[in-house]
Amino acid sequence: MRDRLRRAAWTVRAALRRPDGRAAFLIGAGGYPLLYLASIGHLALGGRGRSVLVVDDPVGRAVQQTRPFSFEPVARVVVEPLVVLLSPLDVAVALVLSTLVGANLAVAVAVWRSPAACGVEGSAGLLAGVPALLTGATCCGPAVLFALGVGATGTLLTAFGYATPLTALLLFGGLLLVARSADANAIRTGG
Amino acid sequence: MDSQHTRRGALALGIGLAGALAGCLGASSGSSEPPGSSEPPGSSEPPESSASPTPSTTADDAAGPPAADRSPYMAYEASRLRDATVSGGVPKDGIPSIDEPSFLGTSAAALDDREIVFGVVRGDDVRAYPQRILVHHEIVNDRLDGVPVSVTYCPLTGTVLGFERGATTFGVSGTLVNSNLVMYDRATDSRWPQVLATAIEGSLEGRSLREFEVVWTTWGRWRRRHPDTEVLSEDTGYARNYGVDPYGSYTPTVRGYYDRESTMFDPLATDDRLGTKAVVVGARTAAGAAAVSMERLRARGVVDAGLGDDRIAFVHDAALDAGHAYRVPPGVTVESTTDAVRVDGERHAPDALPFERRHAVEAMWFAWAGFYPETTLDA
Repeated sequence: MRDRLRRAAWTVRAALRRPDGRAAFLIGAGGYPLLYLASIGHLALGGRGRSVLVVDDPVGRAVQQTRPFSFEPVARVVVEPLVVLLSPLDVAVALVLSTLVGANLAVAVAVWRSPAACGVEGSAGLLAGVPALLTGATCCGPAVLFALGVGATGTLLTAFGYATPLTALLLFGGLLLVARSADANAIRTGG
Repeated sequence: MDSQHTRRGALALGIGLAGALAGCLGASSGSSEPPGSSEPPGSSEPPESSASPTPSTTADDAAGPPAADRSPYMAYEASRLRDATVSGGVPKDGIPSIDEPSFLGTSAAALDDREIVFGVVRGDDVRAYPQRILVHHEIVNDRLDGVPVSVTYCPLTGTVLGFERGATTFGVSGTLVNSNLVMYDRATDSRWPQVLATAIEGSLEGRSLREFEVVWTTWGRWRRRHPDTEVLSEDTGYARNYGVDPYGSYTPTVRGYYDRESTMFDPLATDDRLGTKAVVVGARTAAGAAAVSMERLRARGVVDAGLGDDRIAFVHDAALDAGHAYRVPPGVTVESTTDAVRVDGERHAPDALPFERRHAVEAMWFAWAGFYPETTLDA
């Protein structure tokens, strides 16, 4: 396992040494937090004017759970047309996931564009980033099911409750999977 | 080459999904209102009279919300309702009640006339609670006419009810029964399904709450009826985006929970006499439950229903597009006219008939039929 982790780190580092790998990482790591925060309702359109609201006792409020792996926003910033809710722990979750998404995307692009790396198993990193985007805003039942018109079962609700850590595991697993067969040298020199 | 195709496909699919999900940046919607109607003279609704609370025998009894003198009809044993209670996917207080509400005057409210509000008149207090705020909180612990109350809203069943809370406050438990909000009181942690207004679990099991009517209407209609109304401020103590409703939209209705036939959670019972989300006005007494579809009530103005030995008259309040319910003595003629209701030929405002009021509850049909499977229905 330690060897697998080491190989995964090499693979990511090799991908980040390439311009296309770095660009892919930046796209993934920069774009995913926006998607994640939008999906949980913390980033939306429709704001009017400009305003900043900070709740009383923001430190205490920041650790109050609104649903599994999501916490109370401590501030609302409106800059027309954007409305941003700031929940420090949700931002932290978004940054962890986005780093993993960026790494997966960098490796995927580097492998894809390296002829020498043909035969390497593809990274499922991008798809692995999807579950956390489906948890939705805090309400009774996962918001995505309202959009789809699908009923919620206890099993489904439990699954949604663990979607965020599952996403992190899948993204991390994706990197380990690629590292199993990737030749970092081929990735580094192939581009 | 195959593997390269696979990798390319996965990459494209991932980027495509990301692009699709970018659509989550939803804008606030505009609104639309059902056709307007003439405005009868406004009048305040007197608070329901309530008897003294049941004598307390334990500390919990004293600390909990005051008991109603009459319990509404329950179609199920508490144990059956407990068994049917499910997680809504949020922890206790994950949807936080508003415990320190603040209010604005009409000029500062900045609400579109078509926005849905829940209106209450109690003594000298006239207040409107915007749906756009309550959809994020479900419970407002307030004081009306000096009495501690909770104004409650369940988005999944489309129900608004008011309760006296005594010295305690109500919170959102995070669980649901028949898709309906299960409240808890912070004194005893007993569990109270909103529509049933009766505890089904905890030390206060079997106790029913003192209710008062909350009207589902629009800001424009409410403001015209009550120009002196106050309106709940968005300064709730919480950072929320009150322009976004996670369940869908009423103004205008968009594809979402409110207009889909499907329900998120299994109802206690199904009844296809109406569509699941059709709005009904219901009343329940100790004898049973009766309902009329809002569509029919709008068209008829007055609809009679039998409930045990009682005769219940549902009356449409056209100015608010809301329903009221009265216990009417036999032999009395109650008729709708264009601008009022005539009782044995005498004109009365629809919210001020000279009879004993019964709580009228607007609800989605599936929810009413689930809780009261033997309900009568005039549709």
